[in-house]
Amino acid sequence: MTTKRKQPEKALKLYKDDKAYMQMLLEALSLDESEEADINKGVIKAVLDKYDEVIDCAENDKPFIASWFAYAAEIFTAMGVPWWMFPQTAFLGIEAPHVQDDVDGSERLLGSDFCTILRLSLYYVEADMSPKPSACIALLHPCDGTVVVHQAIKTGKWHDVPIFGADPPYWEDERSYEYYANELRRMVGFITEHTGYTMDIDRLREVCEESNKEYALWQEYNELRRVVPCPHDWTIGPPQCFAMATFYYPGKPGGVEWFKKLIANAEKRVKAGVSGVPGGERIRVLWFDILPLMWQFDIQPWLEAEWGVNMVMNMFGYTPYEQIDTKNEETMFRGLAKRSLAEYPMIRQARGVADHFLSDIERIVKDYSIDCVIWPGHMGHKDGSASIGMMREKCREIGVPFLHIGLDLFDKRYTSVEDVKDIFSRFFSAAGLGQK
Amino acid sequence: METKVKSKVLQQFQEATETIVNAELKKWLDQGGKVMGYFCSYGPEEVITAAGMVPIRMRAIGSTGTEMADTYMSNINCSFCRNCFNMGLTGEYDFVEGLVWLNNCDHVRRIYDNWKRKVKTPLTHMMSLPKMTAEAQVEWFHDELVIFKEALEKHLGITITDKKLWDAIKLHNETRRLLKQLYELRKKDNPPITGAEALAVVVASTAMPREQFNQMLKELLGELSEAEGISDYRARLMVIGSILDDPAYIKIIEDVGGLVVTDSTCFGTRIFWTGVDEGESDPITALARYYIQDKPACPRMFDTQPKRSKYVSDMIKEFKVDGVIGERMIFCDLWTGELFMLNKDMKSTGVPFLQLDREYITAGAGQVRTRAQAFLESIGR
Ligand code: SF4
Ligand code: SF4
Repeated sequence: MTTKRKQPEKALKLYKDDKAYMQMLLEALSLDESEEADINKGVIKAVLDKYDEVIDCAENDKPFIASWFAYAAEIFTAMGVPWWMFPQTAFLGIEAPHVQDDVDGSERLLGSDFCTILRLSLYYVEADMSPKPSACIALLHPCDGTVVVHQAIKTGKWHDVPIFGADPPYWEDERSYEYYANELRRMVGFITEHTGYTMDIDRLREVCEESNKEYALWQEYNELRRVVPCPHDWTIGPPQCFAMATFYYPGKPGGVEWFKKLIANAEKRVKAGVSGVPGGERIRVLWFDILPLMWQFDIQPWLEAEWGVNMVMNMFGYTPYEQIDTKNEETMFRGLAKRSLAEYPMIRQARGVADHFLSDIERIVKDYSIDCVIWPGHMGHKDGSASIGMMREKCREIGVPFLHIGLDLFDKRYTSVEDVKDIFSRFFSAAGLGQK
Repeated sequence: METKVKSKVLQQFQEATETIVNAELKKWLDQGGKVMGYFCSYGPEEVITAAGMVPIRMRAIGSTGTEMADTYMSNINCSFCRNCFNMGLTGEYDFVEGLVWLNNCDHVRRIYDNWKRKVKTPLTHMMSLPKMTAEAQVEWFHDELVIFKEALEKHLGITITDKKLWDAIKLHNETRRLLKQLYELRKKDNPPITGAEALAVVVASTAMPREQFNQMLKELLGELSEAEGISDYRARLMVIGSILDDPAYIKIIEDVGGLVVTDSTCFGTRIFWTGVDEGESDPITALARYYIQDKPACPRMFDTQPKRSKYVSDMIKEFKVDGVIGERMIFCDLWTGELFMLNKDMKSTGVPFLQLDREYITAGAGQVRTRAQAFLESIGR
């Protein structure tokens, strides 16, 4: 099936530039022959593969779709349909030179109190900076922003791109999983209709089995992060595991290999008692949100050097994922529906009742010997910010200090770097944490 | 700007908007009647009525601050929610027997989590409202309505029969028909009622026993049909947005000469422009279809914007609207997105458009006045 779409020139150029940026990072890393560098290289290679796939589809008019991580990408893998995730550019080239201008551009569309990452997704479409897919899968949870952004996409520049939404129920019970499994089946039909790719249930079984291995390995790795000191810092592990299992290699063999390398390295470090934080780990933090990728050169090194902070666990690194039961089509779709509604990070906490915020905090604090919980208060996370009282009370109950900052994870100008450092310093001092 | 009619009923409606427990509601409570609050225009008031209670739309009018709520929510939460939850914490909603929420927006659904932990209300119930409007969603919401009905039956020790449901549907449809008649009068070149006054009427419809309301509105309609119309306005305006329940806000705009003749808000046409189909065989299915498919949708329903866009353009024609004001509660993502799309629509059709951000409690009247004035000038009035 050919798509006969005219691709915006700007989008292809941007994708190629971003790819070149990632390529440059890879080259810089190749000077480092350590195992840790090798793990990072594995992720960057996966990113580059994704860029190649999308650029190839866009240049050669092959079908591909735009979607989000929260749609059980095992389905895409099983169907063999190429896909990319909406805010890919912003996430991956987050420190790339153009991102700040893009943030400004997105503010002109939706103002400054609408989640930056979501408004970037709309901005990239409106500004012809996203490759135009054959079809688009809209995300309708966990927040209000997703619902309206996809309506804006549909009624705007991509009015001629077919768009699909799966309706997410509020509850997490068998009735909801069954309902959402049907929504996922509808999605399969939609993808076939607009791309020509079809679903083979035996293939889905193979993919789910492979994916189960990845998730099992991820869990094994997470056990190793419980050790004090934690064998890796925030840069290795949680964000990468999430990206590999849910986005780059969902149910693909490359994923399993990568996870094995990660575990082998962590085991070695645990045996040798090596801390992920070079100067020694003095504060074990649960960073309860998306990691502050945009701040990686400003805050993270400072937190490590000044306070001995290790973000031992974050919202994206830990979820009690269930294995997909591969008995038959029903059980697989039910498992994928449950994963989509109740397991993927952020969706799990923010879509339905607020209870997961609390039970996750409680479990992670206990399992990972956490010294303090930080809710960054990303300006997009309205539901979480309306849950700060509950989180604070939970932390008080289990005897762990809680900090709510109030920042934009994707724009350092919202709360300045200096202000954030000051907030951290005052908090750690008051809690008596991190003293040398 | 005011109507020429000196109506006692209108005054009662206006008073009803200024307080949570208005005179009619107080009478009901004094007689031992029960009241149940709901948080969104998707709240199925008919089921509450069928259970023998008075449904009231939750508001925070008269709130004097958010100090207590701010311990639980943050400054990026919609001020309606913070004020409303604050009133829960200070006990001002202690008179309600129950509350029902829908996961209508990120802010409101978290009031539920906080409320059930911090405020002692005998019955709290959450309903899962779909975000799409196909048949599968009608079926889903049908089941949610059954679960809600059963929760009320259990709590009150009653049976809600189909007859009770049909009676409630007829009663609420009557309210909708009467409100629509009121709006018909606003289509005239010289409407007999201002936008601020009309808003008071609609708010009152969500705040008092419906039988009384319907009676009173019939009386008002009689008075208005003979009233002299308003002619001293500069332009006819339509207001679009979410929870706008304060007539004082509209009055600021009307005081500079912009007569608000219609709207698409949660305390406006979207709650009464269509009715529940009384020809359906089963009342719960009728209600599910109304809330999911027939009621004019708000932006939280995916893929409904083109329909809303047509709804707005039809209104503009029918009510001879000269300009549109889009109002958005600060931090409300649903309406940020919606107004972005609306702005584009208005540009393409050439209808003058003004976007106003606001907080729930009307403040900064000067700023609204200045912007409204400038807007009227920009449209040449
Ligand atoms: S905007 Fe929609 S979701 Fe929000 S209160 Fe109004 S009807 Fe409900
Ligand atoms: S104004 Fe927006 S954020 Fe506030 S309650 Fe309504 S829909 Fe929710």
